[in-house]
Formats: sequence, C-alpha cells, structure tokens
Amino acid sequence: MEHLHVLSHSALTPIYVGFHRMQKRLSILIGIMGDWAAFIGAVLILGLASSWYMIDVGTRLTTEQHGPWVGWSSAGRIDADPYTRAHFARLGTLQLTSEIALSFLAFKDSEGNRLHSSCDYAVEGRDTSNTWWSLTVFNDRGDLIANAAQRYTYTSQSVALRPDGTFAVTLAREANPGNWLPTGGAGRLALMYTTFDVRGSLLNEGTPEPRELPVIRRVQCR
Amino acid sequence: MKYANLVKNINWQLLLAVPVAAGILHICATLAAPHLTAASAYSRLAPALPTNRMQVLNVTSPGAEPLPFLSPDARYAMCLFDTSAGPVSVASTLPPDIGWTLTVMTPQGDNIYGAASVAARPTPISLVLVPSEEAFLGVTPEARGIARDAQQPTILAATKGIIVVRGPDKGFSYQRHVEAVLKDAHCTARSF
Repeated sequence: MEHLHVLSHSALTPIYVGFHRMQKRLSILIGIMGDWAAFIGAVLILGLASSWYMIDVGTRLTTEQHGPWVGWSSAGRIDADPYTRAHFARLGTLQLTSEIALSFLAFKDSEGNRLHSSCDYAVEGRDTSNTWWSLTVFNDRGDLIANAAQRYTYTSQSVALRPDGTFAVTLAREANPGNWLPTGGAGRLALMYTTFDVRGSLLNEGTPEPRELPVIRRVQCR
Repeated sequence: MKYANLVKNINWQLLLAVPVAAGILHICATLAAPHLTAASAYSRLAPALPTNRMQVLNVTSPGAEPLPFLSPDARYAMCLFDTSAGPVSVASTLPPDIGWTLTVMTPQGDNIYGAASVAARPTPISLVLVPSEEAFLGVTPEARGIARDAQQPTILAATKGIIVVRGPDKGFSYQRHVEAVLKDAHCTARSF
C-alpha cells in the first residue's frame, strides 16, 4: 500500500502543482475582480428588479389599489408616466384613457388568495345609476375561458340586480343560479372591472367619496 | 477587529456608485421596455386591419381574441390610419346611450383624442387627422371655392395609429343596432 501511495503521489504531482497554480491565479483574479463583480451584480439586481416591480406591480404613485383591484391611474393618457406606458405595452392591451373609463384587474380575492378555477367565488357589489360597468373573467394570460353557455362577462345592462340595488356574480365551474360566470378548468383567474364613471371617478382628483369596488369572496374550494 | 477590517477593505467609491448606476439602469430599462416588447396592441392589430378604412371586428370569443384582456362587453370598429400620404377624416355619431366611445390611439397606446357618449343626446364626432410633421397639404376648400362643412372638424396631428369606436354589447336584441352604428363610422383618406 505504501509503495502504491508513493507511486501515486509522484505520478500526480504535476497535476497538483498545476491545480495549485490555477487556484492561486484564480484567487488573485477574484481579489481584483471581486469588487467589480459585486458592483455589477448589485447594479443589475437593483436596477432591473426595481424597474420590473414598478412596471409589473406598480406602486401608489402609479396605481389605485382598492382591495384586490388594481387600476393604473394614467392609463391611456398622453401624459402617462413611463411605468404606465411600459406596463400596458408589455400587457399588450388597448387602454381607454382613464379620463373616460377606469379598468381594474384583480388576480386575488379580497382575502389575498390567488383566484383559481378550483374555487367558487361570489363577486358582490352595488350598481350605481347612470354608470356603465362590466365584470369579465379571464385566465391569468388575459384569454377568455371557453364555456358552453358562452358567458364571459356581465355588464350593468345584463346583470340581475337584487331589490336593494346590489348584485352578486358567481364564479364557478358548475352552473349556478343567478349571475354565473363559468371558470371551467382555466387554472389561475383574472377579473376585470371596467367602469365609465365620469361623474364620481375613482381616479379623479378631489373626489369626495371614492366608490367601492366589488368584493371578491371565496365561497368554497375543491 | 474583523468588522474594522471589513470596513477598511470596502471600496467606498464603488459602493457609492451602486445606487447611481442602478438608477441609470432602472431608467434605461423602464424607457426601453415599451420598445422591447414584440406584442404591443398596435403590432398585434396592425397586420389584420386595412389602412384608412373602418372595420367592424367580430364578437370577441375564446380563441379569437385580438388582444389580451379584451372584454366581450363591447363591440369594436377599428381603423388603422396613416396620414403620411394625406389627411384622414373620421366621422361617427355616438348614440344617446352610455358606454360608447371613439378614441384615437397612437402606436404607443396614448389616447390623443377620446370622446364618450352621453345618455341625453347623440354625440356627432368629426375629426381630421393630419401628419405630425409640417407638410404642405394643399390649399383650403375656401381657396378652391368649395364651401366648408357646416360642422368644423377637430384637427389632430398624428401620423399613425388606430381609431377605435367602442359600443357596449347589450345583448342579442341590440346586436343589429350596435353593428349599424359601428358600420356607420367612417375613416377615409381625403385631400384638402
């Protein structure tokens, strides 16, 4: 065994030396480049991540958030900020100016859980007179969900109201009585609420009473 | 001791440069984002629309959505306009009902003009889109001895974009009425 070890050691010596030299050079290189690598890494992470967050998620500077609903304050406007422009360019939608219509998207229910077709939801709100609104369900990529009933949306003109002026729209796989929007097996869902509220606009500055958006309540999950 | 060594070895110049460089990258990435996307609404719609002619789109249905998050709560007529060869005139009368709009959008998605219907009366809209850059567009109708239209059109400077007439879908009973209004909207190249 001893003999074998000596032979083995002498045979591997050039490799060890080479490896040692390489390790030494690498550590010198890391020493020189370490600061710069950390600098570039930090700049990339901070710069790109903050840009992504501002474009994709938005902040109170650029969005109006009402529970799970997020609307971009200057959507479609000629004086829109760069984040809003980038957001809708990436989303690929044609936005009506927020001076005419307000569109809100929700990917979560009112308790903060992701909307999913494996659950049933009740979307409850109040119909306001002289205001046109619509509620549409999509999958999270913005595609309509195919269903035999061909129901994808309810508007203020098609929704069945309760006597007190409130409404409830059920999102569910199975057929439900009343206002039912089928969700099929779409997976993750997105809800869009659009309102033509030029009188008491949520996004208008100086509005005394912001209008309440519908509540998205999870009923049950399978 | 270790902490003191660590502080001593920090490259303060680079550390202070991090937020500055990150800020520059943040601004560049944000401004570049709209130009880096290949799937903007304009680039998706433009190949399917005729130039300077209004086209009523089919009812939005699963698998046939021209754009993401385009709700079937409305019917649309769209016109891809290009004023490089001359002005484009646009005319439509929005019915006395809420939810109707006519908007002129740039390829970047800005609404350079937007009008919404009111419930009390019809809303006639007459626009003339002219090229953004200064160009000789010919003599005025008055100079050629032609009387002007009674209603003076609104002049807008825009080279390219999309005109969108949107009518709320109120169900099967109103389908023909909505389509008739959309078909009645005009978008035509004209000369001065």
